[in-house]
Amino acid sequence: MNMVRRELKANARALIIWSVCMFLCVITGMYKFSAYTSGTAATGPSINDLLRTMPTSIKALFGFASFDMATMSGYLALLFIYVELAASIHAALLGAGIIAKEESDKTTEYLMVKPVSRAAIITSKLIAALLNVVVINVVTLVSFLVVVPLFSKGGDVSGEILMMTLSMFIIQLIFLSLGAVLAASMRNPKTSGSVATGILFTAYFVARIADMSNKLKFLNLISPFKYFDLSRMAAGNGLNFGVVLLSLGLVAVLVGLTYITYQKRDLGI
Amino acid sequence: MNMYLHELKSLRKSTVIWTCAMIAIALVYLSLYPAIFSDGAHFKDMLAGYPASIRAVLGVTLESVTTLLGFYSMIIGFVALCGGIQAMNTGMSMLSKETRERTAEFLLVKPVSRAAVVTAKILAALTMFLITDVVYYAGACVIASIVKQSSYSGSLFFMISLTLFFVQLIFFAIGLVVSVFFDRLRSVLPVSLGTVFGCYIVGAFIAAGKDDWARFISPFRYFDYSYIIQNSRYETPYLITGAVIVLVSIATCYFTYARKDIHAVS
Amino acid sequence: MNVIEIKNLTKNYGKARGVIDVNLEVEQGEIFGFVGPNGAGKSTTIRTLLGLIHPTSGSAEIFGKSCTTNPEVRKEVGYLPSEVFYYDGMRVIDLLRYSASFYKKDCTKRINELAEIMDLDLKKRIDDLSFGNKKKVGIVQGLIHEPKLIILDEPTSGLDPLMQQRFFDLIASENKKGATVFLSSHILREVQKMCERVALIKEGRIIKFEKMSTLQENNFKRIKVEGPSDLDKTIFDMPGVSKVENGGKTATFLFRGDINRVIRKLAQTDVSNLSIDEPDLEEIFMHYYSKDG
Repeated sequence: MNMVRRELKANARALIIWSVCMFLCVITGMYKFSAYTSGTAATGPSINDLLRTMPTSIKALFGFASFDMATMSGYLALLFIYVELAASIHAALLGAGIIAKEESDKTTEYLMVKPVSRAAIITSKLIAALLNVVVINVVTLVSFLVVVPLFSKGGDVSGEILMMTLSMFIIQLIFLSLGAVLAASMRNPKTSGSVATGILFTAYFVARIADMSNKLKFLNLISPFKYFDLSRMAAGNGLNFGVVLLSLGLVAVLVGLTYITYQKRDLGI
Repeated sequence: MNMYLHELKSLRKSTVIWTCAMIAIALVYLSLYPAIFSDGAHFKDMLAGYPASIRAVLGVTLESVTTLLGFYSMIIGFVALCGGIQAMNTGMSMLSKETRERTAEFLLVKPVSRAAVVTAKILAALTMFLITDVVYYAGACVIASIVKQSSYSGSLFFMISLTLFFVQLIFFAIGLVVSVFFDRLRSVLPVSLGTVFGCYIVGAFIAAGKDDWARFISPFRYFDYSYIIQNSRYETPYLITGAVIVLVSIATCYFTYARKDIHAVS
Repeated sequence: MNVIEIKNLTKNYGKARGVIDVNLEVEQGEIFGFVGPNGAGKSTTIRTLLGLIHPTSGSAEIFGKSCTTNPEVRKEVGYLPSEVFYYDGMRVIDLLRYSASFYKKDCTKRINELAEIMDLDLKKRIDDLSFGNKKKVGIVQGLIHEPKLIILDEPTSGLDPLMQQRFFDLIASENKKGATVFLSSHILREVQKMCERVALIKEGRIIKFEKMSTLQENNFKRIKVEGPSDLDKTIFDMPGVSKVENGGKTATFLFRGDINRVIRKLAQTDVSNLSIDEPDLEEIFMHYYSKDG
């Protein structure tokens, strides 16, 4: 418990900054919503009609491959891609940093000789990290729930928002555990943050490329950003339960690996 | 000279990684160009019938999105994001490295002025960016010539690619000046990622319209590619802003670093 | 010319005290000791001298120039910091060569000589060295360019006794060649052995700045008296006597003043053994090191 509290305190400032940034992300994104829905029947076809006729590849270039842009939920899906990216970066850096911290801050000779097992240390750190991720997630959720009605032209999208935020949570968990296992196993834990982010960005680009064409669906397996189909959620179909289970399974495997590798690790000074 | 070479050596590995990443991005996206071209050919006709406000929202001159240059303008944004992160990260860690890794008591006790130290580091970073960008440019040229569907202006291609270097300069300078004031930061990556990425998002959303004032916020928006393509030059107000940012940041950096107290092991 | 001249040096860290009105001179060719309790301001003084931090007021000059405005002055300075950190991934020889490149001298011969004396493996990676071995790298790095002024901050912490001896022999021979040495250390025995003059700093101020010999003369002598039977307590009722430890037949005390008085008093008693010791620096300074000294 004392370790969890210590970690929470150490991360408090960063958490506040990231939370504010997530909120700003949401507001910034929603601000432009009206621009995307302008165009009435009187002046010509709406952007929605335009997009319906646009080829997949061109739509993908703009990042909204299959979203119904004129509707709030379609636009939300687009915005979510960026929000998710930001939240994932936070999670990956957090996971890597919290595990690598003892060695990079040179406090191993302090903590590791206390009468606690390495497993207990990892558990406390992961709990603290999990709480941070939850806070980010809740802040995002609340931001959307508050800001969206201000711009929406009617229709309740809270259900879709909830689904999307839940899927984001799972993706955060994946990257959190990825960062953790990298920091626990790499010879030089100081670089684990960069490696985790590198993997994350690769996954992001793979996701965007997979958007480009239906022939590239196999790429969906590589990138956690594609595990959940946002367009499905925008259409109100909720989360795919099987995918949720598999993702949580992935998280469990990564977390397990973290414990195992950290236990075996020769701790450097 | 010795410090310059030492810094270059320490930047060697990351230069290679970043260059590969940037070429990979260009390679992947450019290889999709032929498909875009064929998909877009008939779509272009339909777009002409839509209101200007909608075309503006999409942010790219639709007549050119299916040309190689237009398409390249689109994807250079991703490459610039990569380059921007590389630049800001380098800028932020360059000077603070001596404090963070506690090698300040080695380097700063040598018979060299603080200004000389800063100069060596800046030159090493600039060399690194130049190498990265030149290799990238070579790669991009090769790929472009393979996927092109019709001839394109080599000089315009160069001008678009050059914006990469400008963006890097700006983020490098910002990173430098931030690091001089915050050299106790344990981890540089979250701040540089956050700033660059933040500018990118802001650039993508707020500046999507023609709000000129908003374009000044994000260095990624200092270059309007359709303008470059049409006029074969850059927009002066933004070039000047960029130059001012770089010069002021670097000057502040020299000034502050010379007067700073370098504290004992923290 | 004085090699080091510090005049009215004051440094404040915001509201926290650094050093206050420090005045010091170190002459050419001497070995100078600089001691004081933890947090007294030793490192602050040294860092100001080297140009790492800037004085709030006053000046600290080496060879008549300030290191901040004239960094080339550091060409003749060798510095060994108390905690040694170097760049990742370098081998010892790489660091020493990089170090030498700042002095525009060919130091290869010197590098090998010093590495031999200090028993340092040039091919090893610095990351893989123990604390003491890293310290040796620091020592060699500070001396390869044959500086005219050597500034040492806790130089022997981490070194084994043999290496400590070798190190001091090294410093002594550099001094014979004409180098000035500025030694800051907690090991007063070392300071006593090597230094001709010494300054004591406490809570930011210099409270003693004297020749070693004067310090010892003007200070307490430790006197131990043994008698065939219990000693007369009145022997110790004299001005100048302090810290009496009377154990019946044996007594030890500190005495400052005219030694004849003690001799006369003792002549009146039956004494079986008598020893008079020069105080060592430790005893002199322990008094100052304690809070109410």
